[in-house]
Amino acid sequence: MTCADARDLVLAHARGALPPGDDAAVREHLASCAACARVDHVDRMLSEVLEQRLPQHPASLALKRRLAAEWPAPPRARTSFKRFVMPALAAAAVVLALTPQLYHRLVVVPGDRNALVTEAVNDHVRVLLSQRPMDVESSDVHQVKPWFAGRLDFAPAVAFDGDAEFPLRGGAVGYFLDRRAAVFLYTRRLHTISLFVVRADGLDWPERRLEMSSRGFRVILWRAGELRTLVAKVRGEPA
Amino acid sequence: MATERAGDVRQVGREALAYADTLHNLAHYLAGNDPDAQDLVQETYARALRSLHQFTPGTNLKAWLCRILRNTFVSEYRRRRGSPVVGGLDTVDPVHDVADHEIDALRKVMADELQTALMSLGEDARTVILLDLEGLTEVEVAEVMGCAVGTVKSRLSRARASLRRLIGDAAR
Repeated sequence: MTCADARDLVLAHARGALPPGDDAAVREHLASCAACARVDHVDRMLSEVLEQRLPQHPASLALKRRLAAEWPAPPRARTSFKRFVMPALAAAAVVLALTPQLYHRLVVVPGDRNALVTEAVNDHVRVLLSQRPMDVESSDVHQVKPWFAGRLDFAPAVAFDGDAEFPLRGGAVGYFLDRRAAVFLYTRRLHTISLFVVRADGLDWPERRLEMSSRGFRVILWRAGELRTLVAKVRGEPA
Repeated sequence: MATERAGDVRQVGREALAYADTLHNLAHYLAGNDPDAQDLVQETYARALRSLHQFTPGTNLKAWLCRILRNTFVSEYRRRRGSPVVGGLDTVDPVHDVADHEIDALRKVMADELQTALMSLGEDARTVILLDLEGLTEVEVAEVMGCAVGTVKSRLSRARASLRRLIGDAAR
Protein backbone atom coordinates (compact mmCIF):
# COMPACT_ATOMS: atom_id res chain seq x y z
CA MET A 1 0.00 0.00 0.00
CA THR A 2 1.35 3.42 -0.95
CA CYS A 3 1.10 6.51 1.26
CA ALA A 4 -1.42 8.03 -1.18
CA ASP A 5 -3.61 4.93 -0.91
CA ALA A 6 -3.32 4.87 2.88
CA ARG A 7 -4.28 8.53 3.23
CA ASP A 8 -7.48 8.02 1.30
CA LEU A 9 -8.38 5.29 3.77
CA VAL A 10 -7.24 6.58 7.18
CA LEU A 11 -10.58 8.26 7.86
CA ALA A 12 -12.57 5.10 7.17
CA HIS A 13 -9.98 3.18 9.21
CA ALA A 14 -10.44 5.54 12.17
CA ARG A 15 -14.19 4.97 11.99
CA GLY A 16 -13.89 1.21 11.69
CA ALA A 17 -15.65 1.38 8.34
CA LEU A 18 -13.13 -0.56 6.26
CA PRO A 19 -13.48 -4.21 5.27
CA PRO A 20 -11.16 -6.40 7.37
CA GLY A 21 -8.59 -6.86 4.59
CA ASP A 22 -8.25 -3.15 3.84
CA ASP A 23 -8.26 -2.32 7.52
CA ALA A 24 -5.39 -4.71 8.20
CA ALA A 25 -3.45 -3.26 5.27
CA VAL A 26 -3.91 0.29 6.55
CA ARG A 27 -2.95 -0.74 10.08
CA GLU A 28 0.17 -2.44 8.77
CA HIS A 29 1.09 0.63 6.73
CA LEU A 30 0.55 2.98 9.67
CA ALA A 31 2.76 0.81 11.86
CA SER A 32 5.64 1.18 9.42
CA CYS A 33 5.12 4.76 8.18
CA ALA A 34 5.51 7.53 10.75
CA ALA A 35 4.30 10.22 8.34
CA CYS A 36 1.03 8.44 7.62
CA ALA A 37 0.57 7.59 11.31
CA ARG A 38 0.88 11.32 12.01
CA VAL A 39 -1.73 12.06 9.34
CA ASP A 40 -4.02 9.49 10.97
CA HIS A 41 -3.57 11.17 14.35
CA VAL A 42 -4.20 14.67 12.99
CA ASP A 43 -7.18 13.50 10.97
CA ARG A 44 -8.79 12.22 14.17
CA MET A 45 -8.12 15.61 15.74
CA LEU A 46 -9.77 17.31 12.76
CA SER A 47 -12.85 15.10 13.12
CA GLU A 48 -13.19 16.07 16.75
CA VAL A 49 -12.69 19.76 15.99
CA LEU A 50 -15.29 19.72 13.20
CA GLU A 51 -17.82 17.89 15.33
CA GLN A 52 -17.39 20.07 18.36
CA ARG A 53 -16.55 23.52 17.03
CA LEU A 54 -17.94 23.98 13.52
CA PRO A 55 -20.84 26.48 13.80
CA GLN A 56 -24.19 24.97 12.89
CA HIS A 57 -26.86 26.94 11.04
CA PRO A 58 -30.21 25.30 11.79
CA ALA A 59 -33.42 26.33 10.08
CA SER A 60 -35.32 29.05 11.88
CA LEU A 61 -38.62 28.23 13.50
CA ALA A 62 -40.33 30.50 10.94
CA LEU A 63 -38.86 28.51 8.06
CA LYS A 64 -39.87 25.23 9.67
CA ARG A 65 -43.41 26.49 10.06
CA ARG A 66 -43.50 27.60 6.43
CA LEU A 67 -42.21 24.22 5.29
CA ALA A 68 -44.71 22.37 7.45
CA ALA A 69 -47.53 24.51 6.09
CA GLU A 70 -46.48 23.88 2.51
CA TRP A 71 -46.13 20.12 2.77
CA PRO A 72 -47.93 18.58 1.04
CA ALA A 73 -48.28 21.48 -1.39
CA PRO A 74 -50.80 20.26 -4.01
CA PRO A 75 -54.24 21.69 -3.13
CA ARG A 76 -55.90 18.29 -3.45
CA ALA A 77 -53.52 16.75 -0.99
CA ARG A 78 -53.97 19.67 1.37
CA THR A 79 -57.74 19.20 1.27
CA SER A 80 -57.30 15.52 2.04
CA PHE A 81 -54.98 16.41 4.84
CA LYS A 82 -57.48 18.73 6.47
CA ARG A 83 -60.41 16.44 5.93
CA PHE A 84 -58.91 13.15 7.00
CA VAL A 85 -55.65 13.62 8.82
CA MET A 86 -56.64 16.30 11.30
CA PRO A 87 -59.45 14.17 12.78
CA ALA A 88 -57.07 11.22 12.77
CA LEU A 89 -54.49 13.20 14.69
CA ALA A 90 -57.09 14.29 17.19
CA ALA A 91 -58.08 10.68 17.65
CA ALA A 92 -54.46 9.71 17.99
CA ALA A 93 -54.01 12.23 20.75
CA VAL A 94 -56.81 10.55 22.66
CA VAL A 95 -55.28 7.15 22.11
CA LEU A 96 -51.98 8.55 23.25
CA ALA A 97 -53.44 9.74 26.52
CA LEU A 98 -55.05 6.40 27.17
CA THR A 99 -52.62 3.85 25.83
CA PRO A 100 -49.20 5.08 24.76
CA GLN A 101 -48.17 1.59 23.64
CA LEU A 102 -51.10 1.35 21.27
CA TYR A 103 -50.43 4.87 20.06
CA HIS A 104 -46.85 3.94 19.27
CA ARG A 105 -47.84 0.84 17.35
CA LEU A 106 -50.61 2.49 15.40
CA VAL A 107 -49.38 5.97 14.71
CA VAL A 108 -45.62 6.31 14.98
CA VAL A 109 -44.12 5.62 11.61
CA PRO A 110 -41.00 3.58 11.15
CA GLY A 111 -38.19 5.79 9.96
CA ASP A 112 -34.54 6.59 10.26
CA ARG A 113 -33.88 6.39 13.97
CA ASN A 114 -30.37 7.59 13.33
CA ALA A 115 -31.94 10.93 12.46
CA LEU A 116 -32.98 11.27 16.10
CA VAL A 117 -29.49 10.50 17.32
CA THR A 118 -27.92 12.85 14.77
CA GLU A 119 -30.31 15.62 15.78
CA ALA A 120 -29.55 15.00 19.45
CA VAL A 121 -25.83 15.32 18.85
CA ASN A 122 -26.31 18.41 16.66
CA ASP A 123 -28.44 20.04 19.33
CA HIS A 124 -25.99 19.12 22.06
CA VAL A 125 -23.11 20.60 20.04
CA ARG A 126 -25.15 23.77 19.53
CA VAL A 127 -25.54 23.98 23.28
CA LEU A 128 -21.79 23.56 23.73
CA LEU A 129 -21.07 26.28 21.17
CA SER A 130 -23.72 28.70 22.33
CA GLN A 131 -22.55 31.89 23.99
CA ARG A 132 -25.68 31.82 26.14
CA PRO A 133 -26.90 28.24 26.40
CA MET A 134 -29.35 28.85 29.26
CA ASP A 135 -32.41 31.06 29.46
CA VAL A 136 -32.80 30.37 33.16
CA GLU A 137 -29.80 29.67 35.37
CA SER A 138 -30.47 27.81 38.57
CA SER A 139 -29.49 24.60 40.27
CA ASP A 140 -32.95 24.37 41.79
CA VAL A 141 -35.27 22.34 39.61
CA HIS A 142 -38.22 23.98 41.32
CA GLN A 143 -37.13 27.26 39.77
CA VAL A 144 -36.28 25.81 36.39
CA LYS A 145 -39.39 23.72 35.74
CA PRO A 146 -41.90 26.52 36.45
CA TRP A 147 -39.98 28.79 34.10
CA PHE A 148 -41.17 26.63 31.16
CA ALA A 149 -44.82 27.39 31.92
CA GLY A 150 -46.26 29.33 29.01
CA ARG A 151 -43.20 28.70 26.88
CA LEU A 152 -44.03 25.15 25.87
CA ASP A 153 -47.27 23.36 25.01
CA PHE A 154 -46.45 20.57 27.46
CA ALA A 155 -45.09 20.26 30.97
CA PRO A 156 -41.60 18.75 30.87
CA ALA A 157 -41.42 15.94 33.38
CA VAL A 158 -37.89 15.27 34.56
CA ALA A 159 -37.25 12.61 37.17
CA PHE A 160 -33.72 13.74 37.99
CA ASP A 161 -33.37 17.04 39.85
CA GLY A 162 -29.58 17.06 39.84
CA ASP A 163 -27.28 16.24 42.73
CA ALA A 164 -23.77 16.96 43.92
CA GLU A 165 -22.25 14.76 41.24
CA PHE A 166 -24.47 15.96 38.38
CA PRO A 167 -25.59 19.46 39.40
CA LEU A 168 -28.33 21.14 37.41
CA ARG A 169 -27.17 24.40 35.78
CA GLY A 170 -30.39 25.63 34.28
CA GLY A 171 -32.72 25.35 31.34
CA ALA A 172 -33.72 26.80 28.01
CA VAL A 173 -36.27 26.40 25.28
CA GLY A 174 -34.64 24.77 22.29
CA TYR A 175 -35.70 22.98 19.17
CA PHE A 176 -35.54 19.32 18.40
CA LEU A 177 -36.26 18.61 14.74
CA ASP A 178 -39.51 20.47 14.02
CA ARG A 179 -40.70 21.02 17.58
CA ARG A 180 -39.92 22.88 20.74
CA ALA A 181 -37.92 21.13 23.41
CA ALA A 182 -37.30 21.72 27.07
CA VAL A 183 -33.54 21.71 27.51
CA PHE A 184 -32.07 20.95 30.91
CA LEU A 185 -28.34 21.36 31.36
CA TYR A 186 -26.35 19.43 33.92
CA THR A 187 -22.63 19.22 34.47
CA ARG A 188 -20.33 16.42 35.39
CA ARG A 189 -16.92 17.86 36.28
CA LEU A 190 -16.07 19.92 33.17
CA HIS A 191 -18.55 18.16 30.89
CA THR A 192 -21.94 19.46 29.89
CA ILE A 193 -24.88 17.10 29.71
CA SER A 194 -27.95 18.17 27.76
CA LEU A 195 -31.32 16.67 28.43
CA PHE A 196 -34.02 17.39 25.87
CA VAL A 197 -37.68 16.70 26.59
CA VAL A 198 -39.87 16.69 23.50
CA ARG A 199 -43.33 15.63 22.43
CA ALA A 200 -43.23 12.28 20.76
CA ASP A 201 -45.96 12.53 18.19
CA GLY A 202 -44.78 11.66 14.71
CA LEU A 203 -41.31 10.54 15.73
CA ASP A 204 -39.92 7.07 15.33
CA TRP A 205 -39.05 6.77 18.97
CA PRO A 206 -37.74 3.43 20.27
CA GLU A 207 -40.05 1.31 22.39
CA ARG A 208 -37.34 0.72 24.94
CA ARG A 209 -34.46 2.76 26.27
CA LEU A 210 -31.89 3.08 23.51
CA GLU A 211 -28.26 3.99 24.01
CA MET A 212 -26.06 4.86 21.06
CA SER A 213 -22.76 6.58 20.35
CA SER A 214 -22.41 9.09 17.57
CA ARG A 215 -19.50 11.36 16.65
CA GLY A 216 -17.92 10.83 20.04
CA PHE A 217 -21.06 11.56 22.05
CA ARG A 218 -23.24 9.16 23.93
CA VAL A 219 -26.94 9.53 23.32
CA ILE A 220 -29.68 7.92 25.34
CA LEU A 221 -33.30 7.95 24.25
CA TRP A 222 -36.14 6.91 26.44
CA ARG A 223 -39.80 7.46 26.89
CA ALA A 224 -41.56 8.97 29.86
CA GLY A 225 -45.31 8.77 29.55
CA GLU A 226 -46.65 10.58 26.56
CA LEU A 227 -43.42 12.53 26.17
CA ARG A 228 -40.22 11.07 24.89
CA THR A 229 -37.19 12.14 26.80
CA LEU A 230 -33.81 12.33 25.25
CA VAL A 231 -30.37 12.79 26.72
CA ALA A 232 -27.28 13.72 24.78
CA LYS A 233 -24.28 12.98 26.92
CA VAL A 234 -20.61 13.60 26.57
CA ARG A 235 -18.52 10.58 25.74
CA GLY A 236 -17.25 8.50 28.62
CA GLU A 237 -19.68 9.75 31.20
CA PRO A 238 -22.10 7.40 32.89
CA ALA A 239 -25.84 7.71 32.25
CA MET B 1 -54.49 3.93 -4.38
CA ALA B 2 -55.06 7.63 -3.79
CA THR B 3 -55.26 6.96 -0.07
CA GLU B 4 -51.99 5.06 -0.17
CA ARG B 5 -50.39 7.90 -2.08
CA ALA B 6 -51.65 10.47 0.42
CA GLY B 7 -50.37 8.28 3.24
CA ASP B 8 -46.95 8.08 1.59
CA VAL B 9 -46.84 11.84 1.17
CA ARG B 10 -47.71 12.38 4.81
CA GLN B 11 -45.21 9.83 6.03
CA VAL B 12 -42.33 11.01 3.88
CA GLY B 13 -43.29 14.60 4.60
CA ARG B 14 -43.16 14.03 8.32
CA GLU B 15 -39.75 12.44 8.01
CA ALA B 16 -38.49 14.95 5.45
CA LEU B 17 -39.30 17.94 7.62
CA ALA B 18 -37.15 16.45 10.34
CA TYR B 19 -34.12 17.20 8.14
CA ALA B 20 -34.76 20.93 7.85
CA ASP B 21 -31.86 21.76 10.16
CA THR B 22 -29.45 19.53 8.28
CA LEU B 23 -30.52 20.94 4.93
CA HIS B 24 -30.39 24.52 6.12
CA ASN B 25 -26.92 24.01 7.53
CA LEU B 26 -25.72 22.54 4.24
CA ALA B 27 -27.49 25.31 2.31
CA HIS B 28 -25.90 27.97 4.48
CA TYR B 29 -22.43 26.63 3.83
CA LEU B 30 -23.14 26.37 0.11
CA ALA B 31 -24.88 29.71 -0.41
CA GLY B 32 -22.83 31.58 2.15
CA ASN B 33 -25.71 33.51 3.68
CA ASP B 34 -28.96 32.92 5.48
CA PRO B 35 -31.54 34.41 3.06
CA ASP B 36 -30.25 32.35 0.13
CA ALA B 37 -30.04 29.29 2.39
CA GLN B 38 -33.71 29.69 3.33
CA ASP B 39 -34.73 30.04 -0.33
CA LEU B 40 -32.64 27.03 -1.22
CA VAL B 41 -34.22 24.89 1.47
CA GLN B 42 -37.72 25.92 0.46
CA GLU B 43 -37.00 25.17 -3.18
CA THR B 44 -35.51 21.83 -2.16
CA TYR B 45 -38.68 20.80 -0.33
CA ALA B 46 -40.83 21.99 -3.23
CA ARG B 47 -38.80 19.91 -5.66
CA ALA B 48 -38.81 16.95 -3.30
CA LEU B 49 -42.57 17.07 -3.15
CA ARG B 50 -42.83 17.15 -6.92
CA SER B 51 -40.38 14.24 -7.22
CA LEU B 52 -41.75 12.16 -4.39
CA HIS B 53 -42.61 9.33 -6.77
CA GLN B 54 -38.88 8.98 -7.48
CA PHE B 55 -37.98 8.36 -3.86
CA THR B 56 -37.41 4.70 -3.05
CA PRO B 57 -38.86 3.81 0.37
CA GLY B 58 -36.25 2.24 2.59
CA THR B 59 -33.40 4.29 1.16
CA ASN B 60 -31.83 7.21 2.96
CA LEU B 61 -34.26 10.12 2.80
CA LYS B 62 -31.68 12.56 4.14
CA ALA B 63 -29.26 11.68 1.34
CA TRP B 64 -32.05 12.04 -1.23
CA LEU B 65 -32.93 15.51 0.07
CA CYS B 66 -29.27 16.54 0.17
CA ARG B 67 -28.94 15.49 -3.47
CA ILE B 68 -31.94 17.61 -4.44
CA LEU B 69 -30.56 20.55 -2.48
CA ARG B 70 -27.16 20.30 -4.09
CA ASN B 71 -28.62 19.91 -7.57
CA THR B 72 -30.87 22.91 -6.95
CA PHE B 73 -27.90 24.93 -5.81
CA VAL B 74 -25.85 23.93 -8.84
CA SER B 75 -28.64 24.47 -11.36
CA GLU B 76 -30.23 27.60 -9.95
CA TYR B 77 -28.33 29.55 -7.38
CA ARG B 78 -24.81 29.17 -8.63
CA ARG B 79 -25.89 29.92 -12.20
CA ARG B 80 -27.90 32.91 -11.05
CA ARG B 81 -24.92 34.28 -9.23
CA GLY B 82 -22.75 33.56 -12.23
CA SER B 83 -20.23 31.94 -9.98
CA PRO B 84 -18.29 29.11 -11.49
CA VAL B 85 -17.21 26.17 -9.37
CA VAL B 86 -14.41 27.29 -7.15
CA GLY B 87 -11.39 25.05 -7.19
CA GLY B 88 -9.51 23.88 -4.19
CA LEU B 89 -10.18 20.19 -4.02
CA ASP B 90 -6.98 18.98 -5.53
CA THR B 91 -4.76 21.80 -4.49
CA VAL B 92 -3.21 19.68 -1.78
CA ASP B 93 -0.75 16.99 -2.61
CA PRO B 94 -2.41 13.75 -1.49
CA VAL B 95 0.72 12.80 0.40
CA HIS B 96 1.18 16.25 1.89
CA ASP B 97 2.79 15.72 5.30
CA VAL B 98 1.47 17.31 8.44
CA ALA B 99 3.44 20.27 9.75
CA ASP B 100 3.79 20.99 13.46
CA HIS B 101 2.00 24.32 13.14
CA GLU B 102 -1.06 22.53 11.68
CA ILE B 103 -1.36 20.45 14.83
CA ASP B 104 -1.01 23.52 17.06
CA ALA B 105 -3.56 25.38 14.98
CA LEU B 106 -6.06 22.53 15.20
CA ARG B 107 -5.77 22.51 18.98
CA LYS B 108 -6.48 26.24 19.18
CA VAL B 109 -8.83 26.90 16.27
CA MET B 110 -11.99 28.80 17.20
CA ALA B 111 -15.44 28.24 15.74
CA ASP B 112 -15.41 31.32 13.49
CA GLU B 113 -11.93 30.53 12.22
CA LEU B 114 -13.02 27.01 11.42
CA GLN B 115 -16.04 28.31 9.54
CA THR B 116 -13.89 30.77 7.58
CA ALA B 117 -11.48 28.01 6.63
CA LEU B 118 -14.30 25.75 5.50
CA MET B 119 -15.84 28.54 3.43
CA SER B 120 -12.48 29.06 1.76
CA LEU B 121 -12.66 25.61 0.25
CA GLY B 122 -14.31 24.92 -3.08
CA GLU B 123 -18.01 24.06 -3.08
CA ASP B 124 -17.45 20.37 -3.71
CA ALA B 125 -14.88 20.16 -0.94
CA ARG B 126 -17.20 21.90 1.49
CA THR B 127 -20.07 19.68 0.48
CA VAL B 128 -18.18 16.43 0.84
CA ILE B 129 -16.92 17.44 4.29
CA LEU B 130 -20.39 18.46 5.48
CA LEU B 131 -22.11 15.36 4.10
CA ASP B 132 -19.51 13.20 5.78
CA LEU B 133 -20.06 15.09 9.04
CA GLU B 134 -23.78 14.41 8.71
CA GLY B 135 -23.03 10.72 8.78
CA LEU B 136 -23.77 9.87 5.16
CA THR B 137 -21.91 6.83 3.90
CA GLU B 138 -19.44 7.11 1.04
CA VAL B 139 -22.01 5.47 -1.23
CA GLU B 140 -24.63 8.05 -0.25
CA VAL B 141 -22.17 10.93 -0.64
CA ALA B 142 -21.31 9.58 -4.09
CA GLU B 143 -25.00 9.63 -5.02
CA VAL B 144 -25.39 13.18 -3.78
CA MET B 145 -22.28 14.37 -5.58
CA GLY B 146 -22.91 12.32 -8.72
CA CYS B 147 -19.52 10.66 -8.71
CA ALA B 148 -17.92 7.28 -8.02
CA VAL B 149 -17.38 6.02 -4.47
CA GLY B 150 -13.63 5.95 -5.04
CA THR B 151 -13.78 9.59 -6.04
CA VAL B 152 -15.52 10.41 -2.77
CA LYS B 153 -12.72 8.79 -0.79
CA SER B 154 -10.03 10.82 -2.50
CA ARG B 155 -12.09 14.03 -2.56
CA LEU B 156 -12.79 13.75 1.13
CA SER B 157 -9.19 13.02 1.92
CA ARG B 158 -7.97 15.98 -0.13
CA ALA B 159 -10.67 18.29 1.17
CA ARG B 160 -9.78 17.52 4.77
CA ALA B 161 -6.09 17.92 4.05
CA SER B 162 -6.83 21.31 2.44
CA LEU B 163 -8.88 22.32 5.46
CA ARG B 164 -6.08 21.34 7.84
CA ARG B 165 -3.62 23.36 5.82
CA LEU B 166 -5.92 26.40 5.68
CA ILE B 167 -6.39 26.29 9.44
CA GLY B 168 -2.65 25.99 9.90
CA ASP B 169 -1.86 28.83 7.49
CA ALA B 170 -4.43 31.12 9.09
CA ALA B 171 -2.82 30.60 12.49
CA ARG B 172 0.63 31.61 11.28
